[in-house]
Amino acid sequence: MIDWNPIILTAKLALVTTIILLIISIPLAYWLATSKSKIKPVIETLVSMPLVLPPTVLGFYLLMAFSPGNAFGGWLQEYFGIRLIFSFSGLVIGSIIYSLPFMVNPIQSGLSGVPKSLYEASYVLGKSKVETLFNVLLPNIKPSLLTGIVLAFAHTVGEFGVVLMIGGNIPEKTKVVSIAIYDEVEALNYSHANTYSLILFGITFVVLLAVYVINGGYLKKFWK
Amino acid sequence: MNIFSGHISHIQVSGSLSLIAIAINENVTLKTIVVETPETVGYLKKGNAIRILFKETEVMIAKNEISFQTSIQNILGGTIYSIEKGIIVSKVSIETSIGAVVSVISTEALESLILKLHQKVVVMIKSNEIMIAE
Amino acid sequence: MIAIDIHKILYTAHGSMLLSIQLDIEKGQLVTLYGVSGSGKTSILRMLAGLMHVDKGRISVHDKTWLNTNEKVHRSPQQRKVGYVFQDYALFPNMTVRKNLEFALEKGQDRSIIEELINIVELEMLQDRKPEMLSGGQQQRVALARALVRKPELLLLDEPLSALDVNMRSKLQDYIIKVHHQYELTTILVSHDISEIIKMSDKVYCLEGGKIVKQGDPISIFTNNQVSGKFQFTGEIITIKKEDVVYVVTILIGQNVVKVIAQESEILDLKTGDTVIVASKAFNPILLKVEG
Repeated sequence: MIDWNPIILTAKLALVTTIILLIISIPLAYWLATSKSKIKPVIETLVSMPLVLPPTVLGFYLLMAFSPGNAFGGWLQEYFGIRLIFSFSGLVIGSIIYSLPFMVNPIQSGLSGVPKSLYEASYVLGKSKVETLFNVLLPNIKPSLLTGIVLAFAHTVGEFGVVLMIGGNIPEKTKVVSIAIYDEVEALNYSHANTYSLILFGITFVVLLAVYVINGGYLKKFWK
Repeated sequence: MNIFSGHISHIQVSGSLSLIAIAINENVTLKTIVVETPETVGYLKKGNAIRILFKETEVMIAKNEISFQTSIQNILGGTIYSIEKGIIVSKVSIETSIGAVVSVISTEALESLILKLHQKVVVMIKSNEIMIAE
Repeated sequence: MIAIDIHKILYTAHGSMLLSIQLDIEKGQLVTLYGVSGSGKTSILRMLAGLMHVDKGRISVHDKTWLNTNEKVHRSPQQRKVGYVFQDYALFPNMTVRKNLEFALEKGQDRSIIEELINIVELEMLQDRKPEMLSGGQQQRVALARALVRKPELLLLDEPLSALDVNMRSKLQDYIIKVHHQYELTTILVSHDISEIIKMSDKVYCLEGGKIVKQGDPISIFTNNQVSGKFQFTGEIITIKKEDVVYVVTILIGQNVVKVIAQESEILDLKTGDTVIVASKAFNPILLKVEG
C-alpha cells in the first residue's frame, strides 16, 4: 500500500499556493496591464523568469536566502523565529515564486484585452479604480482567471526541483508526490512509483481538460 | 449653373421681399426678386459686389424677329456658339455681352425654332429665377 | 456657463499637432464639435472628462473649477460629474441593462431615477437582458440612459450615432434632444453629419488641425449666406446619372430622396457620397395639402 501523505501534502501545497498567488497576482497583473512605468519591462521579466530558468537555480538561490546562516534567513530566525528551509512555509514561498508567471500572465493578458472604454466609462460614472477592478474588469475576464488558477495549481502539483532544493525530503512535512516518485524509483519500487505517477497524470489531465471545456464554452450550451 | 458677378445698383424693399438690380457691366443690369432684405443678409447693400446664379433650364431663347412684348425683365442679345442635341433636351450656348449664357430647352423647341450655330437670338430669364450669393 | 481654455500637443500618425481651444458654452445649450477625423474633437471630450492630460489651461463648469494647470487643480474623472457616451457604447458585458444603470448610482442616491430613465428611453422590455443581446440602437439608448444616472453637469456624446442606420439615427436624435431638455443638460456632441448638427445643435464649432476655425449657429455655418435660395436642404448624393445632355443627381435629404437636374460643369467636383446643399428659390416649389 502506498503512503498517502505525499498526495495530501501536494494537494495542500497546491491549494495554499494557488490562493495566495491569486491574491498577489490580481493587483500585480492589473499594474502590469495598465502601467506606463519605465520599470515595467523589468518587473515583467522577473515575473516571467521562472518560465525559462531551471527550477534548481531558483531553488538554490532560495535555499541560500532562507538558510539561517545568511543575512535574510538569520534575520527571520532571530526576529520571528521562522525557519523557511526544510519547512512547509518555505515550500509555499518557493512554489509561489515558481508558479507566479502561470497566474500573472493569463490575468494580465485578460485585463489588457478589456477595451479601454470600459475602464473609462466606469471612472466617468464616479467609480474608483478598485471598484472598477472588482465590478467591471474581473467579472469580464473569468476565463483568464480560471486559466490562471488552474495552471498555477497544476504547475505547483508538478514541481520538483524547487521543492527538493528548499524542502529537502522530509516525510509528512515536505515530501510531495513528485519527490515520492523519485524516492520510489531510487528504491526500485516501480509499482509504487507508477501509482503516484498515474495519480499525478490523472489529476493534471482532468484539471486541464476542465479548463479547455469551460473556456471553450462547451458548458454554456448545457447550462442554458 | 450660369454664374455672373456684378454690383448692386438698386434695392427696393417691401416686407420681406426685395427687388434687386445688379449691374453686370455698363450696359446690362439684371433684376431679381428675393425673399431677403438688407436686414436679413448683410451683403444686400448698394454698391456691393455680388454673384448671381440661375439654372440653364430657366433660360428662355427667342429669335431676334419676335416683336411681341413679354413680362420678362431680363433680356440679353447674343449669338449661338454651340448646340448639343439630345433626344428630349438640348443645350444651347449663347455668347452675350456679359459672357456665355447656357440654356437647356426641349429638343422639339430647338427644332421648331430652327436654331443654328452663329444665329443671333435673345435670351430671357424671369426675375424670380435668379439667386444671389456673396 | 462652461468656460474651456485648453492647450495640448497631440501626437498623431501625421506628426504632432497643437490643440488650442477656447470655448464658452452657455448652460442648457447643445453644441456640436464638427471637423474631419484627426481634427481633435474626441481629444477635447476626453480632456473635459478628465480622461486625457491637459498640458496647459483651465476648465470651469458652472463656477466650479475642474482644471487649472496654473493652480495645480486637477479633478479626476470621478470628481467631475460628466456623462460620457462612448463611440463603442462601453456597456459592461457582465451586467444586465438595469445593472448597467444601477452601477452608475452614487452612494445614497434615490433609485427612482433608474425607473425614470428606463421609461424615457423605452427599455422596459429589455431591462433584464445583457448588452450582447441588444441591437446597436438599443445599446445606444442604454449608454445614453446610463450616462444620465448621475445627473451630469456636462453630457459628452462622441459620435454616438455614426454606427446606426438612417431611421434609427433619427429616432435616437429625438431621444437625445428629449433628455437634453428634460434634464436641462449642457451637452457637447461630436458629429460630422451636417443634417444631424442642424437638427440638434444650438451652436456649432468647426475644428481644423486642433483649432476652431468657424463658429455660429448651424444653419448659417452650413447653408445660408452661401446662396439666397430659401428652399434649402443638405443631403448626400446617392447617384449621378447622365440623361441626354444633362445629369440627374439623386440626393438623400433626411429620409427623403430627391432628384435634381444638373449640368456637367456642376457635377465636375461632385461624387457619390458627397454632402451638398440643394437650393431653389422660394418661388418655385408648390404646396399640396396631405389629406389625413
